[in-house]
Amino acid sequence: MTSASPQKPRFTLLSMLGLALLVLVLVALSWWMGQQAYHWLPVQASTAAPLVDGLFSFETAVGTFVFGGVVAVMIWVVLMHRAEKYDETDAEPIEGNTKLEVIWTAIPFVLVMAIAVYAIRVNTSLGVLGPMEHIHQDNPAEEIGGYPGDRLPAEAIEVVARQWSWEFRYPAANVSSTELHLAVDEPVTFRLVSEDVLHGFFVPAFRLKQDVVPGRAINFNLTPTREGRYRLRDSQFSGTWFAANQADVVVESGDAHAAWLKQAEKLPLQSGISDAVDEYAARAKKANPGWATVPPAPPPQVNVPGSNNLPHDA
Amino acid sequence: MTLATFPASEPKPSWTRYFSFNTDAKVIGIQYIVLAFFFFLIGGLLAMIIRGELITPEADLVDRTVYNGIYTMHGTIMLFLFIFPVLNGLNNLLIPTMIGAPDMAFPRLNAVAFWLVPIFGTLLIASFFVPGGPAYSGWWSYPPVSVQNPLGHLVNGQGMWLTAVALSGVSSIMGAVNFVTTIIRMRAPGMTWFRMPVFCWTALAAQSLQLIGLPALTGGAIMLLFDLVAGTTFYDPSGGGDPVLYQHFFWFYSHPAVYVIILPVFGIFSELFPVYARKPLFGYVYVSLASFIIVGLGLIVWVHHFFTSGVPQWMRNLFMVNTMLISVPTGVKVFAWLGTLWRGKIRLTTPMLFCLGGLFNFVFAGITGVMLATVPVDIHVSNTYFVVGHFHYVIYGAAVMGIFAAIYHWFPKFIGRMPYEGLGKLHFLLTFIGANLNFLPMHPLGLMGMPRRVSSYDPEFAFWNVLASLGAFLLGVSIIPFLLNMISSWIRGPKSTHNPWNAIGLEWLLPSPPAEDNFGEHVPVVISKPYGYGLGKPLVEHQAEIEQALTAAELQESSR
Amino acid sequence: MTTAYPTPTEPKEHTAEHEKHNLTGFIIFLCSESVIFLAFFSGYALLKTSALDWLPAGVDGLEWQMPLINSVVLVSSSGTIYLAERAKARGSIWGFRGFWLLTMALGSYFLYGQAVEWSGLEFGFTSGTFGGTFYLLTGFHGLHVATGVGLMTLMLIKSFIPGNYDGGEQGVEATSLFWHFVDVIWIILFLLIYVWQRS
Ligand code: HEA
Ligand code: HEA
Ligand code: CUA
Ligand SMILES: [Cu+2]
Repeated sequence: MTSASPQKPRFTLLSMLGLALLVLVLVALSWWMGQQAYHWLPVQASTAAPLVDGLFSFETAVGTFVFGGVVAVMIWVVLMHRAEKYDETDAEPIEGNTKLEVIWTAIPFVLVMAIAVYAIRVNTSLGVLGPMEHIHQDNPAEEIGGYPGDRLPAEAIEVVARQWSWEFRYPAANVSSTELHLAVDEPVTFRLVSEDVLHGFFVPAFRLKQDVVPGRAINFNLTPTREGRYRLRDSQFSGTWFAANQADVVVESGDAHAAWLKQAEKLPLQSGISDAVDEYAARAKKANPGWATVPPAPPPQVNVPGSNNLPHDA
Repeated sequence: MTLATFPASEPKPSWTRYFSFNTDAKVIGIQYIVLAFFFFLIGGLLAMIIRGELITPEADLVDRTVYNGIYTMHGTIMLFLFIFPVLNGLNNLLIPTMIGAPDMAFPRLNAVAFWLVPIFGTLLIASFFVPGGPAYSGWWSYPPVSVQNPLGHLVNGQGMWLTAVALSGVSSIMGAVNFVTTIIRMRAPGMTWFRMPVFCWTALAAQSLQLIGLPALTGGAIMLLFDLVAGTTFYDPSGGGDPVLYQHFFWFYSHPAVYVIILPVFGIFSELFPVYARKPLFGYVYVSLASFIIVGLGLIVWVHHFFTSGVPQWMRNLFMVNTMLISVPTGVKVFAWLGTLWRGKIRLTTPMLFCLGGLFNFVFAGITGVMLATVPVDIHVSNTYFVVGHFHYVIYGAAVMGIFAAIYHWFPKFIGRMPYEGLGKLHFLLTFIGANLNFLPMHPLGLMGMPRRVSSYDPEFAFWNVLASLGAFLLGVSIIPFLLNMISSWIRGPKSTHNPWNAIGLEWLLPSPPAEDNFGEHVPVVISKPYGYGLGKPLVEHQAEIEQALTAAELQESSR
Repeated sequence: MTTAYPTPTEPKEHTAEHEKHNLTGFIIFLCSESVIFLAFFSGYALLKTSALDWLPAGVDGLEWQMPLINSVVLVSSSGTIYLAERAKARGSIWGFRGFWLLTMALGSYFLYGQAVEWSGLEFGFTSGTFGGTFYLLTGFHGLHVATGVGLMTLMLIKSFIPGNYDGGEQGVEATSLFWHFVDVIWIILFLLIYVWQRS
């Protein structure tokens, strides 16, 4: 073993070919994984969804490439560079290689920047409002925009989050509900308020999520694009019945939506859905009801309670 | 040249010293590690209950209040009572011996820092038994939920939680001051900065993060405690406060905290790969310096934990890019390890297997981390099981596996006996399979939209949850061979020589276990870089004589 | 059994080195401590700039003259503690004790002034975020002043141990460093709370 001058890695024709083959296989695999990524996500039901999914697919592909590359090397060395039995000697001492260091600093940098540029572009076209700039309750006209096509929202809906129920108010139609109804392909503005603690407004099928912060009114826009029934889930831990704080979102055609509003207006106010209230009552009867809890807020009084146990698309 | 008694023929110290206020860093190190694993079992037991509850969609195993308390305490115990103490244990064992110091710079402070751990640990566990139960607002303790205090008692789980976390902070700061001072001031003659083992570099980086980050959390926690017990309104909007302010304080520390966890594990990888590949660490200088780039970047990314809470667009973009840049110095390290393995003479011992498995999991977790960093994707998966999957891959899959590697590797040095290889490999196999079976299914769950911190969920999530729970139970089983191995080899494992792995480093020039003051007054003079595998250069002056002396002493010992 | 064991070429005098650690450790600690203040300061600024009505009803600002006098007292004590150290360096132990005592007196006067100010205020700890942050900041700082005076008392007592201060004393150095730190924090605090009243 000549330790005076550590030998340069040998690049034979064969090893170059092997490397090229590996890269080719990896690229193919990455592309395939990128396509698979779409299937891991729920149905796309808003204008935001295809943008987010495209970015996620791209990241999956890049990630597969990086992960696959690292794991391929690991497998190779474990299979090919194992010490022989009873071989107690050291390997050839290569201490480093500045050229390699530069290359493998540059590659991740370039990959990461590519992801960053893509993500910032998606971010801008999503225009998910940076709500800190929109805390105030004044002139709503200055807060519009932020959805593709730049149409004005047809509808403004107030979303009231409580421990533990969701209430949706349609001020223009004078309707309230514990099931959220939206017209397909129509931009809508939400005004998110919380009466107690933090909550999160999360509809996976829309790929959008926004915390509801007490003391702030947060405006939030989206455009549903697919008819169906989806789940709205509380996404910011809010106490005992956090898990049960869910509601259904019904996206329907414009006509159906108008009809729903018209009919709803005529219905008398009644108790809306609050699983927490029901469970709290059942719990009080138990001999050992568990640890202390904040009691749930009374169920909101609404025109339409709706349902939250029908089959849903996502 | 003087004659010295060597190794010290002092009487075998009594085991009771592990239960006393001992100031020897090696005793404290073992105290830390054993205590940490005691809490690991408790935290793991809570995890088993979590996975038991989640194996079915309904909230049926425990009451919802109980579930919330359990997941909160699981996270808290695992972080503050397991992972930080276990890493401090390794710091205590390794830093002085690796740099040739007789002890820490402040041995008494060191012991105080340790003894705070059982104190706040008891406090935290005791909160299970106060009326109203333990804290239930998650390990973030975001207000307003965390100040709701349904019973209205002054002594309540949340208050005890905050006190315990504050004490943990005090203990960590004491530790950090000690480790940093020791590394700066007590290196052996000849051990310049760039002859220092990478573990010490990473410990220095990690402890600097503690010093910069922890006070912010302490400040934020003090304010939360006042909101809870004294009626102030720092975070209460009805009194003009701002709940998001707390989130800034919390994450200003708790993001860097994740690098406090992973940096020493990078150190472990950098120490062990060269030993078991029989090659010098590839690009030592780059690996050392990358730690500090990670420290710098790690301090300016905290907002990525609350992109959804109402952050202006420019801030989202800025913190997104900062976060993603961390992949670059981290990548430098990953590739350096691959470069070390490349054309090495790989030995698949138990520590090596844990390192390889840990690296595998780490790269996976890093990639999901980059996905989380990009705002549009994060908005969808934030606060879902995707995040839970990401961080268990990195914490369990990489950090805990790295810690296991370290334990198997240095056990002979500090206990003086060899752990059993067969049990070790079984432990590795069960851990690797269990962890992947447990944590991989969490990613599809998160992508589908299953929130975290739920005690019940919609039936479409059942399939992946069952798999995850099975994986979790396998992990629970995996700990049995580990405990068996540790206990039996500690009691009657074969005696270890001073350097069973044929490794290079000052700690391997000490007898196993080392004498109380390590090298005492005879600190060797370091004359070359670490990891000189295959270079044939001695690490210290008179290396051959020292090794001869050690071997001679071992021969005498065994012939007796 | 004894074995020949080579001594290192530079045997090191260990106890002398230990001394140096204390100061290093203390400086590291102070850097860390300053982050708590940084957190409180930024919290104060954030709450203040985003508040709709910052001052509680019936309160229209803080009186700043007395606190200004208090500030002058505290800042000048940084000078006297420096003089004390100079005296010690010259070997004049009584000069040291004199200036040291003066510093302690100035520090105690500051605490007294703050107590007087607190007792005259018409808002409390729970009067909104203004009251909360005001008492938090001044109280936490006051705690540091009290700690500083306590440390100085300790050092003063130690100075009577014969021969104790012959070789330069780390405790004195550390205490004086701490005192300068407490002063700098106060200056920032004063600017933030008393000078920056209008938003
Ligand atoms: C040891 C712990 C640890 C480590 C090391 C990391 C590392 C990283 N983490 Fe993770 N993280 C946690 C522990 C950790 N994390 C925890 C506990 C939480 C949740 C806390 C809670 O909510 O309770 C969390 C949450 C979390 C979030 C918040 C998600 C949310 O709540 O919405 C984000 C978002 O940006 C994130 C990102 C990252 C990134 C980018 C890294 C990077 O450092 C990863 C860098 C590494 C690599 C990228 C792999 C190696 C690199 C290469 C091979 C080079 C080539 C790579 C590319 C080109 C991509 N993490
Ligand atoms: C070091 C950190 C660490 C570690 C090691 C682990 C380990 C594990 N964690 Fe956890 N986890 C966190 C840190 C950690 N976790 C944090 C910070 C959170 C977030 C909390 C929050 O949201 O606030 C979390 C949350 C969390 C959740 C989400 C809860 C929720 O959001 O509702 C889940 C769910 O599956 C989970 C599971 C597990 C499992 C199965 C393990 C397994 O790896 C555990 C394996 C355990 C063992 C191997 C020991 C087995 C013990 C026995 C079998 C019993 C013997 C006992 C005695 C004799 C007493 N963890
Ligand atoms: Cu302590 Cu050198
Ligand atoms: Cu983070």
